[in-house]
Amino acid sequence: MKTIGKVFFKILGIAALIYGILFAVFYWDLDGKFLYYIWEPMMIKRFDNMERKDATAMPYSMKESVEADFEA
Amino acid sequence: MKISLSDIKAKYRELFVVEKSPEEANKPKDIKKMASDFWNGKPHEERRLGDLYVGNTGLYKHREWRGVKDTMYYFNMIWLYNYAHMVSDIMKYGHGPKGVVTFAKGTMRYRWMGQTYLTVMHWFDRGLEGTRGEAMKASAWHYRGMVSETIRQFMRMFEADKKLNGGEENETWKKTIAHNETLSGNIFYGWRDQLDDVALEMIPYFVSVHVNNHTVLNYIDAAQSIGLPADPCPMCQAEYGLFVQDDYPDYSPVMLTTNEACDGSVATSVLQDWFLNRPLYAMPQPMRYDDPLVQKHCQKEIEGAWKFVEENFGIKMDWDQYVKHAQSFNKLTEFEWEKWDVAANTPYYPINGVAQALYRIYYSQDGDRPIWHEMDEHVRRIMNKTVKNKIVTFPKTRHRAIAWSCAPLYYSNWCTWAYNCWGINCVINMDSLMFDQYLRTDTYEHALEDLSWFNEKAPMRAMAVGGHEHILSLFDYMERFNCDMVIMYDQLQCKGMQGIHGVFEDEFRKRNIHAIWVPHALPDKRTVSRAEIRDIINDYMFTVMREEPLDPSLLDFDDSMSW
Repeated sequence: MKTIGKVFFKILGIAALIYGILFAVFYWDLDGKFLYYIWEPMMIKRFDNMERKDATAMPYSMKESVEADFEA
Repeated sequence: MKISLSDIKAKYRELFVVEKSPEEANKPKDIKKMASDFWNGKPHEERRLGDLYVGNTGLYKHREWRGVKDTMYYFNMIWLYNYAHMVSDIMKYGHGPKGVVTFAKGTMRYRWMGQTYLTVMHWFDRGLEGTRGEAMKASAWHYRGMVSETIRQFMRMFEADKKLNGGEENETWKKTIAHNETLSGNIFYGWRDQLDDVALEMIPYFVSVHVNNHTVLNYIDAAQSIGLPADPCPMCQAEYGLFVQDDYPDYSPVMLTTNEACDGSVATSVLQDWFLNRPLYAMPQPMRYDDPLVQKHCQKEIEGAWKFVEENFGIKMDWDQYVKHAQSFNKLTEFEWEKWDVAANTPYYPINGVAQALYRIYYSQDGDRPIWHEMDEHVRRIMNKTVKNKIVTFPKTRHRAIAWSCAPLYYSNWCTWAYNCWGINCVINMDSLMFDQYLRTDTYEHALEDLSWFNEKAPMRAMAVGGHEHILSLFDYMERFNCDMVIMYDQLQCKGMQGIHGVFEDEFRKRNIHAIWVPHALPDKRTVSRAEIRDIINDYMFTVMREEPLDPSLLDFDDSMSW
């Protein structure tokens, strides 16, 4: 019984600690600051340097002929 | 690079410390007042929300303290709840834990995803700033609905996407219909049990601008970089810029396009036809849409779209499915009318201006989905409570405003600012009033007729470019919603609305209406900045209305680099 109680309070303590940390992240806008100062610049760098297909190289004439008449 | 202790201290102050004015700092401490502010939150006039911002970033030194009850609600039921549900939505729509992998692949592949959507909780913050109690709760439910539906759509796109799946045309790809964001999802109800329809630009372009307006600038610039002109609607530019940058997911064997909202979208259709190189059906709508002579034509266009889907997917349209979803969608419309009634005739309406505008345009364009019904139930409970208990949801309202024409996407939360700073409560807006059409399902002919009308009353078509008699219906709505002020959006690159500018000036003068013109360039914040929009409203409120701000810290601040 004593062990169960100890485990219970330990779990409760850990949960309270996690809850407190999350509240600090929320209150001090740490999620926003991480995304703004770290994540977004990293992503901009990635997408600016990403190799992309040159979509404009597609010839205009490639288009399959499409049925003109869809009149019901 | 050497970093000194004073640098760290300065950075800490910049990021976390709210500077007090000398008068504030020298005030004697009033413990009772401090305890009351802690427990209840500060009164509106003492909040100084503008002091919370970090430089020009729009970030907060700390999030707003709304009193114990509302802060804990915001933390538990908005911030934590939404982060947790985002993960569960990703797994739900991605069919289990593998959904996380699909999501990660999309995040690393598409700029509009990786750079944009992770910042979504700041979208909540901006829109809900200063709200309290039931208004905060109900508006947040609307935001939650939009987030969940956004996740559903991008997960479907990623799952089907040839680019993320090694060029494979998988089963999901073969069962997904791609269409323009301005073509209503209602058109595809007849296949909802076997296929799914996802608007192509809704998530990569439209919603992304509201959440983080940095991304869209790449697409506008990309469109202009290949010689396309810079003066058409920047919405169309951004939509085809996605293709120029090869930043669109390839998730469907077909494409259905339209000239909605205006004929600027024709260029988008033409360019998409080129870039996509697959069967494409264009479903144009006439500009003078309520001419009786064009109704049969509009209905034939819808039937043409149905035939196109049937032929390309080899699946017949299921009438029972159509009826089921149309009737279900009618329930959303009925609740919308209830909401309008409360908004028009009482001070108990719990939705703020930005949540009202975005939620309405999103669900009515998207069509019937379970999440909208779930959110409406939450909001219904809250609205019943505010009406029953006569809870005044926006107690600092000095002016009831109606916003007309199309809004600045990069500053859709201007109305949150306007209420906090000036007490201007944006009760209703033009986009909310569109799609005002019940869908009859008693006969095929009635269904087609109403669906056609529904589609003709799409965003901006009905009241922006669909004829002056509709544009001027502003004055009827102003009366119906008991408004005393107009916020008149002035989309500088919208040729249709620019053409009628003078008529509005004359009408405002003739009717002696307070109207504030708000210029903007839809998604592009570089043309008219958010600070310029605020300056225009500030000037009007000081010089014409001769009023003083509720929160002076919000008069002038720099958010040029904000999301």
